[in-house]
Amino acid sequence: MAPSALASLPAPLRSLRLKTKQQELLLRVSALALIYVLAFAVRLFSVLRYESMIHEFDPYFNYRTTLFLTENGFSEFWNWFDSESWYPLGRVVGGTLFPGLMVTAALLHRLLRALSLAVHIREVCVLTAPFFAANTTLVAYAFGREIWDSGAGLVAAALIATVPGYISRSVAGSYDNEGVAIFALLLTFYFFVRAVNTGSLAWALASAFGYFYMVSAWGGYVFIINLVPLYVLVLLVTGRYSQRLYVAYNCMYVLGMLLAMQIRFVGFQHVQSGEHMAAMGVFFLLQVFFFLDWVKYLLNDARLFKSFLRITLTCVITVGTLALGIGTASGYISPWTGRFYSLLDPTYAKDHIPIIASVSEHQPTAWSSFMFDFHILLFLFPAGLYFCFKRLSDATIFIVMYGLTSMYFAGVMVRLILVAAPAVCLISAIAASATIKNLTTLIRTKSRSPQTTSGKTTGSKSAAKGVVDQSLPFQHNAAIGLLLGAFYLLSRYAIHCTWVTSEAYSSPSIVLAARGHNGGRVIFDDYREAYYWLRQNTPPDAKIMSWWDYGYQITAMGNRTVIVDNNTWNNTHIATVGRAMSSYEDEAYEIMQSLDVNYVLVVFGGVTGYSSDDINKFLWMVRIGGGVFPVIKEPDYLVNGEYRIDKGAAPKMLNCLMYKLCYYRFGELTTEYGKPPGYDRVRGVEIGNKDIKLEYLEEAFTTSNWIVRIYKVKPPKNRS
Amino acid sequence: MAPRSDHAGGSAAAPVATQAHFDSMDPLFHVLRVLPFSFLRPPRTRLRLPSNLALPSPMTVFSLILLTYFAVVSGLVYDVIVEPPGIGSAQDPGTGAVRPVVFLPGRVNGQYIIEGLSSGFMFVLGGVGIILLDLAVDRTRPRSLRASFGSAGAVAVLIAYAMAMLFLRIKIPGYLW
Repeated sequence: MAPSALASLPAPLRSLRLKTKQQELLLRVSALALIYVLAFAVRLFSVLRYESMIHEFDPYFNYRTTLFLTENGFSEFWNWFDSESWYPLGRVVGGTLFPGLMVTAALLHRLLRALSLAVHIREVCVLTAPFFAANTTLVAYAFGREIWDSGAGLVAAALIATVPGYISRSVAGSYDNEGVAIFALLLTFYFFVRAVNTGSLAWALASAFGYFYMVSAWGGYVFIINLVPLYVLVLLVTGRYSQRLYVAYNCMYVLGMLLAMQIRFVGFQHVQSGEHMAAMGVFFLLQVFFFLDWVKYLLNDARLFKSFLRITLTCVITVGTLALGIGTASGYISPWTGRFYSLLDPTYAKDHIPIIASVSEHQPTAWSSFMFDFHILLFLFPAGLYFCFKRLSDATIFIVMYGLTSMYFAGVMVRLILVAAPAVCLISAIAASATIKNLTTLIRTKSRSPQTTSGKTTGSKSAAKGVVDQSLPFQHNAAIGLLLGAFYLLSRYAIHCTWVTSEAYSSPSIVLAARGHNGGRVIFDDYREAYYWLRQNTPPDAKIMSWWDYGYQITAMGNRTVIVDNNTWNNTHIATVGRAMSSYEDEAYEIMQSLDVNYVLVVFGGVTGYSSDDINKFLWMVRIGGGVFPVIKEPDYLVNGEYRIDKGAAPKMLNCLMYKLCYYRFGELTTEYGKPPGYDRVRGVEIGNKDIKLEYLEEAFTTSNWIVRIYKVKPPKNRS
Repeated sequence: MAPRSDHAGGSAAAPVATQAHFDSMDPLFHVLRVLPFSFLRPPRTRLRLPSNLALPSPMTVFSLILLTYFAVVSGLVYDVIVEPPGIGSAQDPGTGAVRPVVFLPGRVNGQYIIEGLSSGFMFVLGGVGIILLDLAVDRTRPRSLRASFGSAGAVAVLIAYAMAMLFLRIKIPGYLW
């Protein structure tokens, strides 16, 4: 009996342990699967409310190029010269875009076709961003586990699934480069940190390919190629140089650089542009470190090594400075671009580049935008930094640097909250995970204390007394209360994120919605109405002049040639359009004739109250036009520095082309009960010029709610 | 023989020195040689880094970073670029009196300076509260200190969250309840 009893004892214990481990694995996989589905589903509000469509201005070019790619193949796509954009200049498409997003969507489309799923390319484009957002949660989990532990990884995945800062650029229908790029960015960072932790060449190679994917997808790759060398530099300064770091950075930089240069838009910029010089400098510095480390190993004499060190450092610094100086002076190294420089000097864009400052997502960030996009992560972020500093390692130093740099850049430009969102989620997850672990440890410690007290021996009694003495009064109840408080805060975070996604980030710019008197939704579909009118009622070779916001949509949905579009690569061309809009009708007519314009399209919100219309953007047309053509002066359109459209407006304002086109026949219209005809519901005033006469243009089409107005340019009169 | 060689060496040295003095064609050289450097001598200098130069401790760096974080989330960059007033002012439609307004209404991405600093303070307060909760768990500290840290941390997080929610509701009138 005794031997069989002893033999039977280990079996239950062994199976119990396996069960526990299996339970943990099952729990983790289930949680990740639910988070994956959540990240995808929370972004579908716009599809459920309206329909599956591209619903922002910029992404229509991405959709149009993806359509071209799926129909004509990659080589045609790569060599495509688009004559329907930027008339009469045209655009070399393959050399002026980041192809990662289009190639990804085209490959997904091909994969679905191979699986006999007959979906239209538009459906693939609409859902690409939510799909990659879901994949980003898996990368966040792996990254969190690499930096801290698997608990923090799970919390990071859950936080990043719903953080509004990331949702804003990855909802369904926002077919933009950032949707794919954030996944690539986080993947690159994860692979690099893993390479530094393990010293493995394979992970460094994976990091290089992740970087290649990022370069192919978005211009924000410059952040990676500056943060990683900055991180390496900090490791060197803090005395954390290691062979692992050497292998990781060398492989990632060299291969990543070679791969990045395959993207035609980047090309030799990677070795000639000022933004990339820091990475090259750190690369050479790392070789110097390796060389000195080797010499130190060979030389036994410390004094000899110090003198050698001084000589070598002097030579290296001299040669480096000389190379940089000669490169910059000869023009081989180009200076920083305006956009990059405006991140380092926040006041630069305001003074020098009005077209950068005119974009609303390039504005600096107020506290309320941080609160709107991060919620309680703003409390958890500094606490997470504290935990990282308490447990410093190569990995935690990286996430601290990523968090700090991206948070600063998010403060300079509100759009870059998107880049900061993964870092804030990871650091906040560390704080949340560590705090919850502390609280649960306190709860468990209390429950074991009575058992210890029940011990009979004197030794155990004294030990139990010590444990009891260490605990705080009401520790158990306090820990439970705090844990419930933590869960309450996290649940409020989830509710906030869902509300923000529903109310603020799922409203298409192309299909407008408003609350009617009875609280129901009123849909304004004027944009598509106008574009379909253009497609069906104008000659195929008609040239449309509009402000650049609508250029991509006109080419994609209206299938017509535009003068300027959202690419904004030629400031002079945009300034010419701005000048035409700002000039008197006869002067504008000459400009339109020289540009071969057939139709003019303006966006007007005075009837509906749509505030993002051309009248509200008009001052930027004046500034951008006046930046190139001094004949356009901003004070001419203001009265004592004030922008007005009523009777007291400036004479030039009342007679410029933009004013005439927006307010033509508006003076006869009654827009609001109890207000006189010609009451502008956006500006809240009665317009000053109610009897507008057009001489060189005629009204061709105005949409149902007067949001889009299209005018035909009359041919020149015959002269005898 | 020996005396002859010594004599020859001496005569050779003297002409070399003379030639060195007269070789230079630079007039400034002669002027400088006489005027300041006939009675001035360049000092022997040696630059040495202080031996106690060391990297700051992690918690010192963390404190500095916390200050930087406060500056960023308060919207200090926004204040520098846009230059809003400290507080705004609004005119009462009924009486016409002008009264101060602390929160800029109607715009998510806009702020006055005071409201930014107040909100940034709340964010840092919440973070510090969570840090105090972690310090309270440390068993090496005395019981009274741990209890104080725990209580202060919980209260700090509570106040920070309540005030941040209040500010957000003032900022965004339709915010969910």
